Amino acid sequence: MRGFGPSNTMAKVVLTLDQVQHRHQQPAPRWFKPWASRPGPGVVHLSLDLHEGAILGLVGPNGAGKTTLLRVMAGILPVQQGTVKGRFQSETLHHVEDLRPWVGHMPEQVRWQGHRSVVEALTELADMRNVPMKRVLSLVKLVGLSDRGDEPLNNLSQGMRQRLSIAAALLGSPKVLLLDEPFNGLDPVAARAFSDLVKRLASKGVSVVISSHMVGHLNGLIDRVALLHQGQLLDEGPLKEVELRLGLAGRYRAAGSGILPEDLLRSSEVEVLEHRSDGAGWELTFRGLASTLVQKLMANRVSIERWGPVEPDLVEWLCAATGMEVDDISLDVQAPTMVPLAGVEVSEDE
Amino acid sequence: MSDGARMWRMARRIRNERLMSVRLKIMAPILLLFIPGMAWGFADPNILLPGGHRPDTAMEILFYASLGVVFGATMCAVLLAFDGVSKDRASGMLELRLAQPMPRTQQADALVLGFLQAIVLPVVVLMVLSIGLVGWRTGLWTTAVESAVYIVATGLILLWYVLFALLASTAAREQGTAVAFGVGVWFLFTFLWALFTTMVAYASGVAVGEANDPAWIALEGRLDLLSPNGVYHHLLETQLPTVDRGIPAWQVWLAALGWTVLPWWWLRQRMNNLVP
Repeated sequence: MRGFGPSNTMAKVVLTLDQVQHRHQQPAPRWFKPWASRPGPGVVHLSLDLHEGAILGLVGPNGAGKTTLLRVMAGILPVQQGTVKGRFQSETLHHVEDLRPWVGHMPEQVRWQGHRSVVEALTELADMRNVPMKRVLSLVKLVGLSDRGDEPLNNLSQGMRQRLSIAAALLGSPKVLLLDEPFNGLDPVAARAFSDLVKRLASKGVSVVISSHMVGHLNGLIDRVALLHQGQLLDEGPLKEVELRLGLAGRYRAAGSGILPEDLLRSSEVEVLEHRSDGAGWELTFRGLASTLVQKLMANRVSIERWGPVEPDLVEWLCAATGMEVDDISLDVQAPTMVPLAGVEVSEDE
Repeated sequence: MSDGARMWRMARRIRNERLMSVRLKIMAPILLLFIPGMAWGFADPNILLPGGHRPDTAMEILFYASLGVVFGATMCAVLLAFDGVSKDRASGMLELRLAQPMPRTQQADALVLGFLQAIVLPVVVLMVLSIGLVGWRTGLWTTAVESAVYIVATGLILLWYVLFALLASTAAREQGTAVAFGVGVWFLFTFLWALFTTMVAYASGVAVGEANDPAWIALEGRLDLLSPNGVYHHLLETQLPTVDRGIPAWQVWLAALGWTVLPWWWLRQRMNNLVP
């Protein structure tokens, strides 16, 4: 069950980021000013709306600014330029620090360590939020750590630590949940359970932001996607719409054995994007009416072993959005200066 | 739960964690040797100090024994608190804490109070033991005021070193830098300050070699206000009528206030602007 469907753009906006900028200070020592610094990477003039009950996937390569953006939304990093507006219950908040009671934040990696138990570690954070012990115990149960409640943190596996981070993020019954690479370290079963939990929370009206550089993890989970690169928002909106805008929608891939006649492809009403063929078989990526092509192939007794839609791929998205080649993108990740990227128009009112 | 109660709870948690830490267990024998051990030594009825001097009050004995606090307890304070922030930053816990609605200034206060209690509690126990040892060996007892000043002054010097260590910890991106900064500050005020004082005296034309030169004593007294260890000794000297270095008690307490308020304020500011 989903809260507000991907197409439901009328859902209340709970958080608005308008031209927000936060750039990390980088050391730039000079002879007479060895402590000098200059603005480095971060997020630049980023505008984004967060809808109630929607799950937003924050997608981008390493160094794109995903973590920085999440930290700004969590009230950890200050907004250097632009404005942030939160609307929770009857309150309208204008300072990121004021968002903290409403926002649950799960950092990318927390190395829970020490002789304290799981419950003690959570209680410490719960005290900082004025959350009662009862809630701590229910969260320990929710993330599947009830058997390990008294276990010292040093004894937890990576996956268990990740679950504990999830519980910590949920402590204050947040209205906005920020998850930074939450699938790291989770086994497939735990990842599935985690996805279900996120969907359940969204159905209760919690807005969720999940950052990931693995788009595959977000398939079937997110309602909307925000594509980040070099601290800038390249595109944002429902998954299908973004794909459509980037010219990557409606793609299919089919493969089979034998030979695929070239004239058959030419006569079909599909756009062939890629065609590989060797002695062992063929593989075809195309855009258009898949059923027509498949029928035609079957009528001509071409053996089809598999076919289906092409799943979204971060590299393709980035290439399409920036107009850059994959090598250029990977080399540009650490660029300290921000330059406007080749353009996809970003519509913020979707 | 009120803001104050929340802060004290966090402080108590830090205190308990550090009191049970391996680090404190390692430092316990050092504290034992340096605080009651020194008091035991200086309380020897046959002791003869350089210059043929013999301490004649319990407070004077404790004043000499306070070297143990300067050398041992302050170092332990630094070693307990040097990673108070940097360890959490390295583990990712700092990010979680900074994302909580509890004001960061209160988090800073909780850190200070937690680490301070972790070092002050064992030190105060050892100081009380020292007072008892001095009384038992010499039959001389400190007055209530002397005991209070001795304990409060020691609490203050430990607070200052905890503040220095935490400040260093907020700036450090890794543990090595944090410990180097903390120990560096300790080394500066414990050992190098004498060199600094001597250099200033020499530059001012004061006779450095003359231990009883009034100009030297006055200059050293003034410069000591700029050092936490110096202020600590000034505080103890307020209870020694035979010692007069020309600094009025109110100036000493004012310097103590400055050493308390300024670094604490600075730490709160740093916590407000801290990034994970």
